[in-house]
Amino acid sequence: MAKIIVVTSGKGGVGKTTSSASFASGLAMRGHKTAVLDFDVGLRNLDLIMGCERRVVYDLINVINGEATLTQALIKDKHCDNLFVLPASQTRDKDALSEEGVERVLKDLDAMGFEYIICDSPAGIERGAVMALTFADEAVIVTNPEVSSVRDSDRILGIIQAKSKRAQDGGVPVKEHLLITRYSPKRVELGEMLSYTDVQEILRIPLVGIIPESEAVLHASNQGNPAIHVTGSEVSEAYKDVVSRFLGEEVPLRFATYEKPNLFKRIFKGR
Amino acid sequence: MSKLPAPGALEVKIATVVAVAATLHDTDLNVIDAALSHMTSGDSGFFDGEFAVLDVGSITAMPAASVINWAAVVELFRHHGLNPVAVRNATSSMEGAILAQGLSIDTSIARPRAEVAVEAPPPVAAAVPTVGNNVGVPMIVDMPVRAGQRIYARNTDLIVTAAVNNGAELIADGSIHVYAPMRGRALAGASGNVDARIFALSMEAELVSIAGVYRTFDDGYPEGVGQQPVQIRLAGDRLDIVGLQAATKS
Repeated sequence: MAKIIVVTSGKGGVGKTTSSASFASGLAMRGHKTAVLDFDVGLRNLDLIMGCERRVVYDLINVINGEATLTQALIKDKHCDNLFVLPASQTRDKDALSEEGVERVLKDLDAMGFEYIICDSPAGIERGAVMALTFADEAVIVTNPEVSSVRDSDRILGIIQAKSKRAQDGGVPVKEHLLITRYSPKRVELGEMLSYTDVQEILRIPLVGIIPESEAVLHASNQGNPAIHVTGSEVSEAYKDVVSRFLGEEVPLRFATYEKPNLFKRIFKGR
Repeated sequence: MSKLPAPGALEVKIATVVAVAATLHDTDLNVIDAALSHMTSGDSGFFDGEFAVLDVGSITAMPAASVINWAAVVELFRHHGLNPVAVRNATSSMEGAILAQGLSIDTSIARPRAEVAVEAPPPVAAAVPTVGNNVGVPMIVDMPVRAGQRIYARNTDLIVTAAVNNGAELIADGSIHVYAPMRGRALAGASGNVDARIFALSMEAELVSIAGVYRTFDDGYPEGVGQQPVQIRLAGDRLDIVGLQAATKS
């Protein structure tokens, strides 16, 4: 049975698509057949971040409407063997998404042997976001350590608890994971930013990882290369830790504490 | 409920009104008059025309009950600012006289009637009308209440054992207890119960209200109650926020 994981946040611009791309890539690199779907109909970004925008022929809406098959629409990722991308439509809007259509696509993906189906949610709490979370088995809540992001994440958690199929059918609740992105331990130390414990205290869900703020993310998205592939960077290591933790491994939390650089580092790093 | 098929002229639906239940423990109207005066301190605005349901279950066994002057009873309550509309737990022999005064017979609560003639208890304590309490098993919520969620405990108290986040709303006709940080809004006594209270283990609320009287905390919390255990009650038309720490120290 494929595991359906929604990557959502409520707030926009916190790192959902960035994280969906790297998280899906990470799972594929571990040998799991993975599909990542873009639910942001009309404002699609996932194909850009994954670097496959020039290979998009058919999209999720085409498949829902029966205008194309999944095999025609799925794009094989150029970095990972086990990874496939289903982009969103650029020209239609979210009304084209239907619950029955989404359910059918997910069932068909399961039948094709996918182990993980990552649903990249749009921002907000309207149709696209609700469609992305309706069939989820697990949820990754992407949150910046900042008050409005935390408030919106809290809101989306409430919506998952009310509107997911699991909640409505009274089944095992959706398993929730907190992913904190754009974290700066230095700013936390200075009292400018919420710490990850502050965020956890409000959201009360288990932490799956911390992604540090990094210039590498911008470079990577400009190149259509998921950040996890920037080998040696902090972001890449952090996403790898997230995948490990998600798969049940015990991994110590990295990039969470500020170490004052010694004089040598400060001269040469210039930070 | 379906509406009557009378297009335009009239609409009939189920409505709920707030009323006071006044339980009589004495048949002597002078004693009742004294008790009502004591309760209102002579202020006819105290009850402010509130509907009243008179519960006579405790006095039906008394010999004087069968000759109650219902006109005088109605007049007496009206004088003190209560508007009697119905009578509960009356015997069938009393019903004729009750109905003749334009009062209704309320059969919604059946209370066990006194089997034996009861001696009229001492005046002051006896005839004190009791205000109807919100009965019912409290609603208990164990999950964190998240932004945008609203919980309404109808006709009962609300108990929450996990955090109530900013942007969440707790509403109860009875009292509200939060055994965790209370950050959102808490509205107790939502249907008008002025005796409802709010209890919180850590006072961090955005807004609190009892029976419609509300308070926000833009300028911060009163001295010493922010993030502390508190009890909030209505004192007249003001909300009193009292730290609970003192109560735990002897």
